[in-house]
Amino acid sequence: MDKQTVRTICYLSRLSLDQNSAQKIESDLDVILSMIDELQEVDTSKIEPMFSPIEQTAIVYDDVISSDNLKEDFLTQAPNSDNNFFKVPKVVE
Amino acid sequence: MLANKEITPSELTEESISLAKRYASLNCFNVINEEAAIAQSRNLSFDSNNLLSCIPIAHKDLFCIKDLETTCSSKILEGYKPPYTATVVKNLENAGCITIAKTNMDEFAMGSSNETSYFGNVHNPWLKNHVPGGSSGGAAASVASGIVPLATGTDTGGSIRQPAALCNLTGLKPTYGRISRWGMIAFASSLDQAGPIAHTAKDCAIALDAMTGHDSKDSTSLHLGKTTTLETLEKHTSLTLGIVKEFNGQLSAEMELAFQKSIMTYQSLGYKIKEITLPNIKYSVPTYYVIAPAECSSNLSRFDGVRFGFRSKNIQNLEDLYVKSRSEGFGNEVKRRILIGTYVLSAGYYDAYYKKAQQVRRLIAEDFNSAFKECDLILTPTSPGTTFAFDSKGSKDPTELYLEDLFTIAANLAGIPAISVPQAFVNNLPSGHQLIGPHLSESAILQTAHHFQLNSDWHLKSPSMESFL
Repeated sequence: MDKQTVRTICYLSRLSLDQNSAQKIESDLDVILSMIDELQEVDTSKIEPMFSPIEQTAIVYDDVISSDNLKEDFLTQAPNSDNNFFKVPKVVE
Repeated sequence: MLANKEITPSELTEESISLAKRYASLNCFNVINEEAAIAQSRNLSFDSNNLLSCIPIAHKDLFCIKDLETTCSSKILEGYKPPYTATVVKNLENAGCITIAKTNMDEFAMGSSNETSYFGNVHNPWLKNHVPGGSSGGAAASVASGIVPLATGTDTGGSIRQPAALCNLTGLKPTYGRISRWGMIAFASSLDQAGPIAHTAKDCAIALDAMTGHDSKDSTSLHLGKTTTLETLEKHTSLTLGIVKEFNGQLSAEMELAFQKSIMTYQSLGYKIKEITLPNIKYSVPTYYVIAPAECSSNLSRFDGVRFGFRSKNIQNLEDLYVKSRSEGFGNEVKRRILIGTYVLSAGYYDAYYKKAQQVRRLIAEDFNSAFKECDLILTPTSPGTTFAFDSKGSKDPTELYLEDLFTIAANLAGIPAISVPQAFVNNLPSGHQLIGPHLSESAILQTAHHFQLNSDWHLKSPSMESFL
């Protein structure tokens, strides 16, 4: 995996790697990728992917309004909140 | 002892908490639920009709418990107190269990040695400075040390069975969908399944029957009632056990000898042994290391420093908030898996890796379907070796540690149940064998494991604990 690819997937993952760990993680990724490349030798031309071990149709719930409101409970867990909102740095100047 | 009134529920709870403190150097708990547990034990009266009545239990620290810190052993969730309780915890509490503590684990259940926890390594009660296995390492250590008789774990690729094997315990991964995942913090949603870790198959059966049942809050929960495996536990039929041809030659001579002794025990009990083939089993580790990271990269995107958990102090803007909170909050193994997952799901690589792995997964599942026409259950070792020293595996090559799950991963890919059972010790250390069955065959698996334990005494051995005082 070249450095540009690592930079791209770090950006997509919203992760930054410090210099000490970057080199190690980059080499680890190469080792892991060469292991998973073994899958390429399997002929899967007529095989449907199996995304879940129980291939059942998702359950549809009745469209009923529930009265549960845990807003206060959830907001107490936020690192920063203000009244009814999660607070983050200003997005629009 | 509770039934004979030799001990009261609160004395039992206090004894369990006192042991947890005495063996603090094991580092198997992230939090001890002392005040609430003692209060609960004083309010509960013992119900002699209920086998879990007033039994102390420890839950893996990824099951949400209302107002009790739940961290997944990650800095990113340090201090997080969920506003709700996981269904499996509620089911066990309704059955009478008293929650003593939350157990240490590999960070977000990513690991096979409990060495990726933000809160430090858990020791194996059998040998200090050696791993208890993972990711449910704290759960296994808490039961093996005698602090609690029962703990919950979760198993995404072997995380119940491998620590059970390394700590001389019985650990069951049920069929995918048997136990609700609601309130269980997700790692890889199509592979994760909760289950019990205990000394015996009988204890696992008692726990399983309490843990199972349909839950409308989990869309993958099977539409089935609670299991009744305890009722049928004593039923012993001479089943045919399949030995996997492709696993020949994967063990050291000592491990092979221990496994052969288990085979001989089953033969002496009337079980037939038959060689079967799982032609695609060798691809289960690479298949898993595409699917699990892909699902993890998606599941862990919710940890963004906005709504709960850790937020970096050093932020200038919103992008900074996301990137720095995640980069400072996650450990290296979690980062590795998020990056691999993001890569295999990204444009241009999705078909080559993610879709390909899901196709191979079907081949592996079909191999099991074919094998179960030849045999009732499959018998394998649980792990390639016994416990190993801290930092001795995976530091140079992460895939070295991934191979710890060589024998266990395929059951998660296929969603089928499997149990690890203590067998002959190897160099004075515990080892285990595994019984894998078709979907919903928990009764047969538990019956067989119980039958083995009625005719062996490995599961009765316990560690001295002197080095942890």
